[in-house]
Amino acid sequence: MNISIAAEPIFHIGSFPVTNTILVTLVLSSIIIIASAILKSRISLVPRGFQNVVESVLEALLNLVDSVTQDRRQSKKFFPLVATIFIFVIFSNWVEVVPGLGTIGIREELHGKSVLVPFLRSGSADLNMTLALAIVSVMAAQILGIAAIGFGKYAGKFFVSPFRPPYFVGTFVGVLEIISEVAKLISFSFRLFGNIFAGEVLLMVMLFLVPYFVPLPFLFLELFVGFVQALVFSMLTLVFLKMATTEAAH
Amino acid sequence: MSELITKLGIDYKLLIAQIVNFLVLLFILYKFAYGPILAMLEKRQKKIEQGLKDAEAAGKKLAESEERQKEILRKARTEAKEIVEKAHMQAEKSKSKIAGVAKVQAEKIITDAKAEIEREKTKTISEIKSEIGSLVVAATEKVIGGKMDEEKDKELIEKSLKS
Repeated sequence: MNISIAAEPIFHIGSFPVTNTILVTLVLSSIIIIASAILKSRISLVPRGFQNVVESVLEALLNLVDSVTQDRRQSKKFFPLVATIFIFVIFSNWVEVVPGLGTIGIREELHGKSVLVPFLRSGSADLNMTLALAIVSVMAAQILGIAAIGFGKYAGKFFVSPFRPPYFVGTFVGVLEIISEVAKLISFSFRLFGNIFAGEVLLMVMLFLVPYFVPLPFLFLELFVGFVQALVFSMLTLVFLKMATTEAAH
Repeated sequence: MSELITKLGIDYKLLIAQIVNFLVLLFILYKFAYGPILAMLEKRQKKIEQGLKDAEAAGKKLAESEERQKEILRKARTEAKEIVEKAHMQAEKSKSKIAGVAKVQAEKIITDAKAEIEREKTKTISEIKSEIGSLVVAATEKVIGGKMDEEKDKELIEKSLKS
């Protein structure tokens, strides 16, 4: 049993390491894109089957976004990012319960030891992926914030003159705001990574200890955790977007 | 710091690849999934709202027309009743009128007939009278057996007539 915090490269294209997570992420993205293309070609006013499922999920998400923004127009602006994060993260998380994860792979010599490099690794169990999402989310908050209230006012949240009341307190709060933007990146990426990586390790350990039936409850637990983490990630993004687009009240 | 980053497996190439991948996914879903689906949801919502409104309006209209129908029926019934009553009255009136006219006519006919009878009677009586006179002359002639003179004859007739 080999547990590696970093995703393992399966092969290299030039100097670009193709890791198992990026492979899974690409496959997942293509599946989502193909599904959406099929859905688009079959979309009809009277929904049936797959369209029903997608619509109910999206409508629930839209209502959730509405409940945060209290404004349909703003909801529509935030919705694509929030929904994409939710869909992408939940499927990345659920990859970890796919059978064969962490067990099917190729043996490679690493540091003089023969270790198994699995083909499948949940996208969320790789810091590159979670950090990428966190960067997108935080950057989107900055961009939408500037677009919504203007560059000057948005910058005013972070850079406060120490010569106006509340003087240095305001300046200090502005510095804290900058730090908190960076902290968001870290908390976003490590929360998701930690949860899913831990879940993956847990499932693997369980599978090695008792191969039959005992891992089942953990599979359900991981499904639930995956859902919750996807919801948390998208909801936090939504809240940060909302916060960035509202003017600071002084 | 850089050691920590390599230990955690963070690689800027992979990071950029993941960001690009996510942005592509976001763009494609934005173009192909959210737009059409949200538009469809809105369209359906509008359609359902319109349908409900239409149904309500139709129901209201139906009730209204039913009410109007009832009203019309009621009106027609009372009107018919009135007409029948009027006709009855008219008939009664004309009946009595006709009866009166008939009565008058009948009385006239009766009086006419009576007058005619009276006239006929007097005529007959006078005829009978003259007839009887000549008859009596003939009979007396036969009885007396001979002609009397004109003077005597007349005297006798008048005498007998008077008695």
